[in-house]
Amino acid sequence: VTRSAHPAAGVAAVGIITLIAVIALGACGSTGGNVVTFDVAASGTEGARTLDTALGWHVALTRATLHLGAVYLNLSVPISGSQETNCILPGVYTAEQLSPLDVDVLSASLQRFAVKATGTDDEARTGEVWLTGGDVNASTDTTTIADLAGTATRDAQVLPFTARVTISSGNRGIAPSDPSQPSQHPICKQRIVSPIAIDLRPRDGGTLVIVVDPQQWFANVDFTAVPADGVFPDSNANIASQNLFSGLRAATATFQLSFQ
Amino acid sequence: MICLFAFPPGLHAQPAGAPDTPAPAAPADAPETPAPAAPPAPAETPAPAAPADAPGAPPPGETITITDRLSAIVRGHEAAPDVGVQDIRVEAGKLSTEIPHKDATELLGWAPGFLLTNEGGEGHAEQIFLRGFDAREGQDIELRVNGDVVNQAGNLHGNGYADLHFIIPELVQSLRVVEGPYDPRQGNFAVAGGADYELGLTRRGLTGSYEQGSFGTRRALVLWGAPGSNSHNFGGVELYQTDGFGQNRDARRATALGQVEDRLGNDGLWRLTTGAYLTDYHSAGVVREDDYAAGRKGFYDTYDFGQGGSASRAFVLGDIEVQHADVTTHHQLSVTAQTLRLREDFTGFLLDQQTPFQQPHGQRGDLIDLESDVVTGQAQGWMRRRGVVAQLPQDLELGYFARVDHSSSQDYRIEDATGHPYHKDADLDALLGDIGLYAAVNARLTPWAALRGGVRSDLFTYDVIDHCAAHDVAHPSKVTPPGDASCLSQEDFGHYREPVQRVTTAGAVVLPRASLVLGPFAGVSPSISYGEGVRSIDPSYVSQDVKTPFARVASYEAGIAYKGSPGELDTTLRLATFRTHVDRDLIFSETVGRNVLAGGTTRLGGSLSGRVTGTWFDHNASVTVVRSTFDDTGRLIPYVPDVVVRSDSVVFGDLPWQLDGKPLRAISGLGVTFVGPRALPYGQRSDTILTIDGSISMTWDRYTLGLKASNLLDTRYRLGEYNYASDFRSQAEPTLTISRQFTAGAPRTLLLHVEVTL
Repeated sequence: VTRSAHPAAGVAAVGIITLIAVIALGACGSTGGNVVTFDVAASGTEGARTLDTALGWHVALTRATLHLGAVYLNLSVPISGSQETNCILPGVYTAEQLSPLDVDVLSASLQRFAVKATGTDDEARTGEVWLTGGDVNASTDTTTIADLAGTATRDAQVLPFTARVTISSGNRGIAPSDPSQPSQHPICKQRIVSPIAIDLRPRDGGTLVIVVDPQQWFANVDFTAVPADGVFPDSNANIASQNLFSGLRAATATFQLSFQ
Repeated sequence: MICLFAFPPGLHAQPAGAPDTPAPAAPADAPETPAPAAPPAPAETPAPAAPADAPGAPPPGETITITDRLSAIVRGHEAAPDVGVQDIRVEAGKLSTEIPHKDATELLGWAPGFLLTNEGGEGHAEQIFLRGFDAREGQDIELRVNGDVVNQAGNLHGNGYADLHFIIPELVQSLRVVEGPYDPRQGNFAVAGGADYELGLTRRGLTGSYEQGSFGTRRALVLWGAPGSNSHNFGGVELYQTDGFGQNRDARRATALGQVEDRLGNDGLWRLTTGAYLTDYHSAGVVREDDYAAGRKGFYDTYDFGQGGSASRAFVLGDIEVQHADVTTHHQLSVTAQTLRLREDFTGFLLDQQTPFQQPHGQRGDLIDLESDVVTGQAQGWMRRRGVVAQLPQDLELGYFARVDHSSSQDYRIEDATGHPYHKDADLDALLGDIGLYAAVNARLTPWAALRGGVRSDLFTYDVIDHCAAHDVAHPSKVTPPGDASCLSQEDFGHYREPVQRVTTAGAVVLPRASLVLGPFAGVSPSISYGEGVRSIDPSYVSQDVKTPFARVASYEAGIAYKGSPGELDTTLRLATFRTHVDRDLIFSETVGRNVLAGGTTRLGGSLSGRVTGTWFDHNASVTVVRSTFDDTGRLIPYVPDVVVRSDSVVFGDLPWQLDGKPLRAISGLGVTFVGPRALPYGQRSDTILTIDGSISMTWDRYTLGLKASNLLDTRYRLGEYNYASDFRSQAEPTLTISRQFTAGAPRTLLLHVEVTL
């Protein structure tokens, strides 16, 4: 009995030493990457109150707010093909800002979103700005995405205007050109501004800055097509409204994303 | 009367006095001799095998004839020789009855390195982590009952899915676990290792018990075993029902198991085992950590009340074993029918892709409704021949294994608003074959050294019909567009095709395995092992005539074991270090709700385990540490635990008081589980898990009254933690980036236990 007790103690001692060594080995290492939390802020640009378009209009803005429903950063650049009809591409998102913000585009000062963004520290290649007030697939969304007022001047023409932009299937939807593909142009595609070219890597404690530049909003707008009351129809049926809506959604021209 | 005594292989199939000499797989008590009604407490722990060189021990390999007045035949099925320190055999005893175990899967915790989780509900097979492997529900661990493989080949939820809930824990007599692919008898799915449950009932007579406790949990159990028969003759029925903790965790199950065993002539045994099992349950799934932190969801809540499932199993297993003088032959045959329905939702509203051909839709819901039915026929047999070479006993065994599985599986996505299926993800019928042949030797090189191992070769065949082979078409017909159909009957430019595709292929594999076992030297026995294992491929990955991409594992092990009885304490200690490499590992994908193929992985670790049994206690404990990494990046494999500690203790004894002249016997058990922080994707770590289970019971005469408690400290812990993207519409806009989710561990559960044995 006495002799057999010693080997047991020996096995136990060797075992404990071995396990301590293995624990030390196993304690290091990682699956790679990091989870990050950061602020998101948006602003307009200096000089956004006045702008000149290629059609010869001088636009003086007195009010310009843009509703940003959400912001996403993507790992990859979308490719053409089946993804064209998919508004959500699982696996490509690396960071998200889910709280809305009405951005005063006429102000160059940073306006922070109420909630921090979360994500990973992977390199982001594209961004998405969701112009939505709720379900991105909803047929109807009465949220005012853009609220604009100002005066357009060309030569002797002085045309005060206002615009209130919403995005629903009825006013912004695009009918499919191929009847065999009824979902060729889903309404969610009209609400998502993408791809916004970026090259940044989010980090903990930083700030993602979204600069909204209204310069392109009126690039192709002929203000003479706006009804006499100066109110842009909230519908793509009007060519001026359609061009304004296209300008609002001009991805890289309207939105610049950077990380500070 | 002439009686035969077939010695345990430890005496005739082991090197001299090897410390882990296995007892017969199930020692059969004397059929003609009434067994004691009360369970033999410490005797249930296997006594150390008598050294073959001990005075009075019979010569190895010899079957002796005893003539005495007991008129008893003592014989059991011959167990395979142990293959080193990682070959663990545990007699159930009080560890089974006195430590709360919800089901038989939890008994695996007797062996080092096991962690069990369950994100799918009470009727869903446990997810098994073993020594750095995420073996899921059996994909990487071969699980057997009485030698019959339980893993379902061709199950769409997981190829190798093994649900052990049909085993009544009280009917488990012993458990053999081989951690690693070191035994030539191990077949498909033995990547991380294998386990074999031996059924038996040591408590003879008619036993009825009833448990009632927390969360509306009720369990009725009836067990019987004729006093004049051996422990392999039994019957048992279990009825179980619970409302479950938190939301959506109710469950019901019923199990019936029966077995008869008797002599076959003078030197044989036959055994017939039957069983049926039914279950229906709901499950809660995961909760997002941010929703819990913000108070949008409770810890034990669910997002999707549609989750749950049902399962059934019926089987017949028969075996015959004949032990001649130096030859033992064994044959067994089984037929098993199983059904499985799973409804799981890990992602909420994320994966419903809009194609141009479909009517416009938003996210309709990611609830998976998976059905997989499998009918399996298995046959296996072996012959073991003993001889003497160089004056040392030697064993040679040749055996075969054959199984055919016919599986039928469908996988649908269910619309949250209506509960109707809106998309068919898969519809597979598969006929899978596996015939394996092995040769195993137990060669004694010297009286203190034995080389055990051999080679195994398996041929796997696949005949798979995909009833939904075409999901997409690049240029559809403009006249008859595919619309919302899931299984398309057209291909490029609208040309017609049948939606069905059949593929057949086959692949063979050769698996060498060897262990060198030395000693024992003063009770200490070192061993080293090498083995290769294989996991057949999921039928959904099979391509026509393409060489079947097996997952192969190469495993190395070195360790020392001690077995002795210092201070009249039966003591077993094991120290093992191991390294395992898998060329094609399976990693869990929450988007498809099952494992998907990944690259090569390596595991390096060690374990220390032991069991000490005295006259008034039984203690079994283990600690396992492992580092699991991907070969290409060197980064940790997510979700598998680095450190697992498990301790099971039972103390028992007669109290100093008596009632009606009969003693009061008290038994108390304590089980402790500790799991270190697990690596999660994106450099995260999970919380640690520390749970304590306990029980106390008093037995007087034929009556037992007890209380069992799981999670005694009522720790609020996260049983499983995951980092992946999900959107359960808990916020205004879709949550699309990775986020922490968890499955809640059970809170404290108390069960009052009443038992009568007649």
